[in-house]
Amino acid sequence: MSPLDPFLTLGIERRFEVDLARVERQHRELSRALHPDRYVSAPPGERRAALERAVQVNEAFRVVRDPVRRAEALFALAGVPVGEDREPKAAPAFLMEVMEHREALAEAKAARDRAAIEALATAVRSREAEAERALARGLDGGADPATLVGRLGELRFYRRFLEEADAALEEWTDGSL
Amino acid sequence: MALFEIFDPKAAPRPIGIDLGTTNSLVAYVKDGRPEVIADCNADRLLPSVVFYDEHGGAVVGRAAQARAAESPRETIVSVKRCMGKGGDDPETRRLGPYAFAPPAEGEANVVRFDVRGRRLTPVEVSADILRALKQLAEDELRSVGPAVITVPAYFDDAQRQATKDAGRLAGLDVLRLLNEPTAAALAYGLDKKKDGTFCVYDLGGGTFDVTVLLLEDGVFQVKSTGGDSALGGDDMDRAVAEEIFRVADLPPERRTPAIIRAVLDTSRALKHQLTEREAASAPSPLGVGPAELTLARSRFDELIAPILERTGVACRRAMKDAGLRGEALDGVILVGGATRVPAVRAYVKKLFGKEPLADIDPDAVVAMGAALQAHLLAGEGHKDEVLLLDVLPLSLGIEVGGGVVDKILPRNTTIPTGARATYTTQEDNQTGFQIHVVQGERELVADCRSLARFTLKGIPPMAAGMARLEVRFDVDADGILSVTAKETTTGLEQHVEVVPSYGLDDDAIEAMLLDALDHGEEDLEKRRLAEGQVEAHRMVLATRKGLAADAELLAPGERELIAAAVAALEEAAAGASAAAIQSRISDLDHATRAFAERRMNAAIAKATLGQRLDAVEKTVEHAKGIDLAHAEGTRAVG
Repeated sequence: MSPLDPFLTLGIERRFEVDLARVERQHRELSRALHPDRYVSAPPGERRAALERAVQVNEAFRVVRDPVRRAEALFALAGVPVGEDREPKAAPAFLMEVMEHREALAEAKAARDRAAIEALATAVRSREAEAERALARGLDGGADPATLVGRLGELRFYRRFLEEADAALEEWTDGSL
Repeated sequence: MALFEIFDPKAAPRPIGIDLGTTNSLVAYVKDGRPEVIADCNADRLLPSVVFYDEHGGAVVGRAAQARAAESPRETIVSVKRCMGKGGDDPETRRLGPYAFAPPAEGEANVVRFDVRGRRLTPVEVSADILRALKQLAEDELRSVGPAVITVPAYFDDAQRQATKDAGRLAGLDVLRLLNEPTAAALAYGLDKKKDGTFCVYDLGGGTFDVTVLLLEDGVFQVKSTGGDSALGGDDMDRAVAEEIFRVADLPPERRTPAIIRAVLDTSRALKHQLTEREAASAPSPLGVGPAELTLARSRFDELIAPILERTGVACRRAMKDAGLRGEALDGVILVGGATRVPAVRAYVKKLFGKEPLADIDPDAVVAMGAALQAHLLAGEGHKDEVLLLDVLPLSLGIEVGGGVVDKILPRNTTIPTGARATYTTQEDNQTGFQIHVVQGERELVADCRSLARFTLKGIPPMAAGMARLEVRFDVDADGILSVTAKETTTGLEQHVEVVPSYGLDDDAIEAMLLDALDHGEEDLEKRRLAEGQVEAHRMVLATRKGLAADAELLAPGERELIAAAVAALEEAAAGASAAAIQSRISDLDHATRAFAERRMNAAIAKATLGQRLDAVEKTVEHAKGIDLAHAEGTRAVG
């Protein structure tokens, strides 16, 4: 079973670096043509065919919009196994970094130190951007994808870390948006 | 002309939009291009969502039922919406209220059951009674009622949506779509103002709170994020006031009878309404002890409801974050729901978003108006090509994996319809079946999420452990309702999926209620099936002809004749009296048009993506077969 090509579904180039505005536009136009609302009084065959494609378009949209899933799709299309239990183990240096970040976050949370959490989040966000740039350079530049899988693991970690930091910050907001 | 219209016995069925609210329900339709709410003979547009059951099992709905609430608090069901899709042991059943509840019998679905004069009524049945009253109201005005769009809170989960759809079916409505209330409101506003931008809808109703952030561009209403609380609303303000009244009066619990509780809740609501216009409110005390009059200052009321407002704020902040926006990026905040009339709510929203909210369409009517517009569009009567609503899944869907942990398979705010697949394998040799537990919610542990259903897969061919590969496909339709299919990929065998909803009625239970609701059971049901089949046949013939006319060039040689023969056969069956014969001809025509339908769809995609490189278009068309999940997933073992 071959993996789906979400880039093809949306009619965009198969690259890590994408123009999100264009992705949104393509998604909107395809939705206009395929959304079930357009086929309410269509014969069942057309309804089914449209629904199947609308689902596919929305799935592709979900994948392409999200850097982690987008990278996963590119690896899968290149034949590199992905999925957390199928990727090679992370590099020791990165595991070290992970531990340090985790400890710092746990300490800041225990001390309810808002500024410290924000500083950590900012630092991790820039690491996240760095990993994304590396993936863009490598995947779009023709490097051997197998050498880049580690970056995907990093990206996943940064994402999870930022979610946790955000959740902690959310608990003590001051009431404004 | 007008006279002729009134006496026309064969009036064309008109699509309707229904706002099935916690406190009030409304029905609307589109008249001369504009949505209009239907009023009853007293010029009343709000039908109180209150149902009184008399000694003979008859249902009285609306103001007349409301009038019975004080003397018959147990027989008069108020705010039934809060119990939709809930289990018999839900906290909702333990809140301050006058009802008696019946536990589910052995083998019965775990849903709330009101005990009314020994009759056990589910919220689906009570809601169906409200829907029947609305349908009657619409029939009085339009003579012939067509398909319906029913609104639901955006934050309703799968069970609550399914329950609403079941109620529509039970009431004999052809439900085209469940539409999220904030999206409906946005549609009414958007089409009215014809202004593009990013909007936030703050919808505080009688019993539910929703917040939705959406982008309106080029006629497409794209929901970016949604959030809320399906048990938070004006009712909770009433309860907060009622609890204060009991506290101040120091009334011992044994004197809090159902009648007193009902009366105090009604008094609380009256006080709340007065405070919209005034700084202080007063009402005759229903307690029978203490002062004859109860008074409440607005400042005290504002204190009592502050925790409720704070809960809405949490949901708003999260929705804005999910949409990746800050308050100043919004072009407008739209107020929906009767509870947004409370001055403290308006002040809170203004402070939260840093701008004056819009409330120029009646907050009680705006949802029904949006639903009517959508029904009109879906029935193919409006400017169909210009408007499209793209909504999202409000709560993440996941599956239980080892240790009671949730593996999320579809994150919240995913545009619907959508789907995902996951692959499983067996853990034991010759294992021929297993269970998948689907939950909905954002938390990591199954125990903290809402259980939706257990799917049992059966008939896996006997194999060594880990050899079978089961591909389970989860699909969420445009109503936000989940379905599950499965197949064993090494043998290609489709698996039988047995669904046990955690908090819902299964098809058999609905069928039994349908029979029960009709005077002559089977006979009536057969008539109804025939009528439904004829409508469907008619719709299908029309649509097929339209398709043939529009895309004749896509027909293969000889295909037109084949399709024409199938159309003729269906028309003949539709003129007859057998529902089964109609269904069989429908399926024949479906078969005859299958290839043509596929070609039409590919042409539609090609047209939509015009402007991109031509080779990409061709590839897209070629590729548009079969659905697959792009991000590779590990294989999960489920015991």
